[in-house]
Amino acid sequence: MRVRTSALFAVTVLMVACGGQATTGESTGSTIVLGAPLGLTGSLTKESTLTQQGYNLWQDWINQRGGVVVNGVKHKVTIKFYDDTSNANQSAVLMQKLITEDHANFLLGPYGSAATATDAAIAEQNQIPMVEANGAAQAIFNQGYKYTFGVLSPANKYLEGVIDMAATLTPKPSTVAMLSADDNFSLEVANAINDYAPTKSMKIVLFKKYKNGATNLTAEVQAAKALNPDILLNSGHLTEAIAINKAAKEQKLNAKIFAYSVGPSTPDFITALSKDANYVYDGSQWTPQVKYAPAFYLSVADYVAAYKTKYPGIGNPDYHVAESTAACLALQRAIENASSLDPKKVRDALAALDVTVFFGRLKFDQRGINTYKPMVVEQIQNGAHHTVYPSDVADAQPMYPTPAWDQR
Amino acid sequence: MADFVQLVVLGLLAGGIYVAVGVGFGLVWGVLNIVNLTHGALVIVGGYITWMLFAGLHLDPFLSLPVDAVALFLLGYTLQRGVINRIIRAPLLFTFLLTFGLNLVIVNTLLLLFGSDFRSVTPAYSGQGLELGTIVIPYVPLTALGVAIMLAVVLGLVLNRTRIGLAINAIASDRDAAQLVGIDLRHLYAMTYGIGAACAGVAGGLIAMIQAITPTAGEPYTLQAFVVVILGGLGRVSATVAGGLLFGLVEAFGQSIPGSGSVFANAIAFGLMVIVLVTRPQGLMGRLR
Repeated sequence: MRVRTSALFAVTVLMVACGGQATTGESTGSTIVLGAPLGLTGSLTKESTLTQQGYNLWQDWINQRGGVVVNGVKHKVTIKFYDDTSNANQSAVLMQKLITEDHANFLLGPYGSAATATDAAIAEQNQIPMVEANGAAQAIFNQGYKYTFGVLSPANKYLEGVIDMAATLTPKPSTVAMLSADDNFSLEVANAINDYAPTKSMKIVLFKKYKNGATNLTAEVQAAKALNPDILLNSGHLTEAIAINKAAKEQKLNAKIFAYSVGPSTPDFITALSKDANYVYDGSQWTPQVKYAPAFYLSVADYVAAYKTKYPGIGNPDYHVAESTAACLALQRAIENASSLDPKKVRDALAALDVTVFFGRLKFDQRGINTYKPMVVEQIQNGAHHTVYPSDVADAQPMYPTPAWDQR
Repeated sequence: MADFVQLVVLGLLAGGIYVAVGVGFGLVWGVLNIVNLTHGALVIVGGYITWMLFAGLHLDPFLSLPVDAVALFLLGYTLQRGVINRIIRAPLLFTFLLTFGLNLVIVNTLLLLFGSDFRSVTPAYSGQGLELGTIVIPYVPLTALGVAIMLAVVLGLVLNRTRIGLAINAIASDRDAAQLVGIDLRHLYAMTYGIGAACAGVAGGLIAMIQAITPTAGEPYTLQAFVVVILGGLGRVSATVAGGLLFGLVEAFGQSIPGSGSVFANAIAFGLMVIVLVTRPQGLMGRLR
């Protein structure tokens, strides 16, 4: 009996001692399960892997600190991933599985606007908040959903930063030729410019759609050249951006600004065009050069360093990684603010969230998209990407105007 | 007026690429009766060879074209001799399926070897051009057009002036009669496919100089070659040249339609193909067989 009592006493002492190791005196609660279907195989493998890296970076960080604090209790985090084979319908099926079978407390978004749109419907039906980082089409947020939140700037903002920047330059450009691929995302970007440029006293002299994926855009560039625009904008993808830049050189279209929505931010654009890639601008969600003052989590420099430590040999994190980490941060702060793991309370906390992290300001409009974070404008200068606008986050001045092709 | 002339120039230059892609496709279709769905993939193999020689050995891309032709000839000869010959007399659907499968194998092999990154060949003179008043004629597409026409002329000479060419023509006319007079069908089939593949390789080399390539970039070219051959007509190299240039012009003018008209550039080209098929099934310059 005495032995038993002694043993019990020893165990109690040990437990108290172990508990005392947590300096804040917080106890450990249940593990928070987050779920995300990602295209780990199929056509979106590259971008989905970057998304997963962003999620994992945050998971490591939060678990090292003991987990998310809710009412003084620390909850570790597990993110459960499934491969949706880059198929939006499969993504929705897996999202439902994550909710019903894996009992995910909260959801993180898949990669791409198409899968995000199908997954948002599942989140809504089950009334579980989904914070996403990789679906920029506004169509997702115009459905009246209450449980989907996107941390990234919407499609219509992609090239508006370029127009804002152009308005500050001397001599101020006054005419814009807008070329656009005919897919929904690209058209959202282009239509926004059609409305926005005139508010900055710039005239749209050409608005031309072409087939998504086109490789021969010489006639489009010729139509733009005939109008001698100050700014040549393209809303499309990497293939079309390369084709347009090549055609512009061949046909000696000398605009003061060449800016393309998607494409120039990838290393492929520079390797494919070498020095002809110089002076080209693009809109980016985030760059490693931005200077935001974070309220919590890492600074931009520490984030870049943490990424390079975990994923050595692949260079700086690109914006897909950063926005994915930012989605986790939004969710973390909302759970903490709600002081609860109840999905409805966390949803309300997300709707009321307003915090700045290394990725920029996280705040959602009533549709659930982050219209408060600006896009930054990058320019390729001497073969490297530099952030040139807004000036408070820039690391270089815009090289303006772009010299004529025969004077480079 | 200057805009009109510039569009004609751009259309003809784009047409040069379609001629290069079309001649090999037309040869294989006309002689072997194979609608070769591997053609686009072979084009891109040629593109990658040019890119490797340019990036690795700094070889001028135009000088790498003969290498493309020889390498693709060997690849094409082997494919036909080893694989396609086995079902050459089967119904059209079988060769369709087989060449579609070969296309997937080649594209995925390229993906494994080179990844899905964009590759581009940009020699120092890339993007420069001749300026005649306001009309600009870029050198690379202009030379590419010249090479395409030369390719067609050489192919025409081979087909009409050499023993091999005459044998290929004999097979196209009547394969059983050709066999009766002692023509080695299996060898000649493989020669034909090899020559077609060599043309595809040269086209690929030209394309790598004009656009950025990825392993999947060849797929549209199979379709475009199909339209070019139908427009011009089967059975004559000169018909493919006419078809290719016409396709380039139609595309350029389609793209220049104001507003969203350019989305329909392809629809216009395919619409033209349907009209040709209905009114002149042998093509604009083709021979009825």
